[in-house]
Amino acid sequence: MKKLRVLLVDDEVMIREGFKRLFDWEAHGCEVIGEAADGMEALAKLDALNPDIAVMDINIPIMNGLKVIQMSRLKHPDTAFIIVSGYDDFSYCREALRLQITDYILKPVNYEEFGICIDNLKIALFQREISENENPEEERAIYGITRFIQEHSAEDISLSVLSDEFHLNPQYISQLFKNEIGVNFLTYLTSIRMEQAKKLLLTTSLSITEISERSGYKDYRVFTKVFKKSEGITPSQYRRDFLQ
Amino acid sequence: MLRMEIALFLVLAFVAFFYFSAEKEHAALHRTFSLLLVCVLVHLGLDGITVYTVNNLNTVPKLLNDAVHRLFLGSMVFVIYLFYQYIAILVEEETGKPRRLDIPAKIFLAIAELCNFLLPVSYTVTEKGNYSSGYFMLVPYGAVIFYLILCAGLLLINRRQIDKKKKSVIGIALTIEFIVCILQGLNHTWLISGMGITLMTLAFYLTLENPETLRSELTEQKISMLYLKSQVNPHFLYNTIDTIRIQAQLNKDVKVAELLMRLVDFFRLSVKIDRPIVTLDDEIELLEAYTELMCYRYPDLNVSYDTDPDLGGAQVPNFILQPIVENSLIHGLKNKGYRGDVTISAKKTENDKLEISVSDTGSGFDEGKKAEIDEMLRGYAKQPPKLSGNSIGILNVQKRIKLLCGREYGLSYTENETGGVTAHILLPLKEEIE
Repeated sequence: MKKLRVLLVDDEVMIREGFKRLFDWEAHGCEVIGEAADGMEALAKLDALNPDIAVMDINIPIMNGLKVIQMSRLKHPDTAFIIVSGYDDFSYCREALRLQITDYILKPVNYEEFGICIDNLKIALFQREISENENPEEERAIYGITRFIQEHSAEDISLSVLSDEFHLNPQYISQLFKNEIGVNFLTYLTSIRMEQAKKLLLTTSLSITEISERSGYKDYRVFTKVFKKSEGITPSQYRRDFLQ
Repeated sequence: MLRMEIALFLVLAFVAFFYFSAEKEHAALHRTFSLLLVCVLVHLGLDGITVYTVNNLNTVPKLLNDAVHRLFLGSMVFVIYLFYQYIAILVEEETGKPRRLDIPAKIFLAIAELCNFLLPVSYTVTEKGNYSSGYFMLVPYGAVIFYLILCAGLLLINRRQIDKKKKSVIGIALTIEFIVCILQGLNHTWLISGMGITLMTLAFYLTLENPETLRSELTEQKISMLYLKSQVNPHFLYNTIDTIRIQAQLNKDVKVAELLMRLVDFFRLSVKIDRPIVTLDDEIELLEAYTELMCYRYPDLNVSYDTDPDLGGAQVPNFILQPIVENSLIHGLKNKGYRGDVTISAKKTENDKLEISVSDTGSGFDEGKKAEIDEMLRGYAKQPPKLSGNSIGILNVQKRIKLLCGREYGLSYTENETGGVTAHILLPLKEEIE
C-alpha cells in the first residue's frame, strides 16, 4: 500500500513540530512531505507537492485556511483537507462543510483522535475504490470480508468469526486489513459501526440505547465513549447538531 | 418676582440634594456639574436679593445695592462660563479631541469679571418695576452671547461624533438660554435670567446627570473591571496552554500533557459562558474536565457519572453543575481530606422533568447550616446580588434556574442517611431551544 503524503499548515512552529513528532505517521501509513506557515505558502506547496492530505489551521496569516481550500479545491479535487482549528465557531464549520473537507478537528489536538480521523479517511478511500471498481470478476477476499462486516455490524464480529466464515487464517485476515486498507480490523469494524450509528441517529428516532445495540454495542456507556472519541461529540449532540 | 426666585432656588436645592447624595464616578464632567450646581444656587440667592434691592432703591443704600448687583452679575458670568466648560468637557469626552478654546474662554472670563466690578452701575425706574442699566449691563449680555456662540460652534463642528442624546440636550439647553436672553433684552423689567439658568441646569440634570444614570455608569465600570480582571483573551490562554502541552509531550512528559489537555478543555468550554442555555452533554463535559483535574490533585477523590444518554440533548442553564460540585468538594469532602465519592446522576422524573443530583460522602451540614441554606435558597429573590462570598455559587445557580426555567424549578439539598449531602436540581425537560 502506497504511503499517503501529508502537508502540514499552521503558523505556529510548535504545533507543526508536535504533529510531526508526536503523531505516529509511519504506523498510519503516512509521511509528512511539507509544511507551510501562512496561506500563500500553503497554496504554493499544495501546487508543488499535490499532497494526499492537507492538515490545515484556519487562523493563519495572509490568507485564512478556508480561503486556501476554496482556491485550491478545483485544482486538487482528490486532496483530503483536515481542518484543525481553535475556533469552534459554528459558522466556520458550516463554511468548511461546504468546501467538502474531510474532517474538522478542534485544537488542542488529541493525537489519538487525529489517528481515528486518518483511519476513517483511509477507509473512505477504500470504499471509494470498491465503488469505482468496474471489474466485478476480480473479487478480492477483502471485498467479501468488508461486505460481510457491513451486513453484520450489529452482531458479534471478531477475527475468529470471520475466520470461520471465510475459511481463512485469522492472522491472514488481520494482515489483509493492514495491507489492503491500511488500518487494522478493529478500527475498520468500529468505523463501520459508527457509520451505522450515525445513520440511525439521523434517520430514526430510536433511543441511544437501542441505537447502541443495533450498532453492535451491548453497553450504551461503551458506545457513547467510542462515539465521542470518534466524532468528538456525544451521540445526542450529533443528532441535534445535524438535525437543526 | 421675588417668589419666582425663591421657587427656583428651592427646586435647585432639591436637585442638588439628590445629586450630591448619589454615588458617582469622579470624572471631570461630574466635578464641573457639582461646581455648577453650587454656583447656580449662590447665583439664585443673589438674584433674589437684587430683585428686592432694585425695587427698594429708596430704603436700600446705593453702595449696598451696587455691591449685590456686581456680585449677582459676576456670579452669572461665572455660571455661564461653567456651562461652557461643562459642554466643552462633554464634547471632549465624545470626540476625544482636546479642548482648544479653554484659554480664550478664561481670558474672556477675566475681562468680563473685571469690567463687571469696574463699570458704573445705574438704575432705571419704571412703573412696572426697576432694573439696572448702563454700560455695566453689557457685561452679562456680552458673556451670554460669547459663550453661547462658543458652545454652538463646538456643537456644530463636532455634530457627527456626538451621541444623539447628548447633542439634543446641549441644543435644547442652548436654545432655552438664547430665548430667555432675548426676552430679557426686550423686556428689562421681567428679570428672568435666573429662570434661564435654572432651566439649563435642569436640562442637564434630568438627562445626563441624574442619579440613576450615574449609578448605572458606575456599576458598568465596576463590572467591566471585574471582567477585565477575570478574562484574558480566552484564545490566547488556551493556545498558549496548548503550546506548553505539546512541548511537554515532546519532552515525553505524558501526564503533564494530559493534564494540560484537560485544563484547555475546561477553559474552552467555560468561555462559552455567554450562552445562557446549553445542552446537558456540554454541561457534563465541562464538569468532567473539572472533576478529572480535581481527582488528579486529590487521588483519594472519586467522581462517577450516571446519566441517561438520551437526556444528553436536554437544555439546561449554563454553568450550573460545576458550582454545585465545587461546593460538595469544598464544604463536604475537604473536611475529610478529600477522601470520598461524588456521584452525579441525571434522570427523567415520573412527571417528565429532569432531575440532576450531586451526591457526596462528605462531612455533611454543620448544626443549623442546613436550615440556613434552605432559607437562603427559598428566599433567593430577597438576597442582594453579591459579587463574592461563600454561598455565592449556589445562590447564583438558584437564581439563574428560577429566571430561565420558571419558579417551579430550582435547587434543593437533602442529607444522606449514610452521611454527606445530595443536591437536587429540578429542571424542565426540553430538547429544543426556544
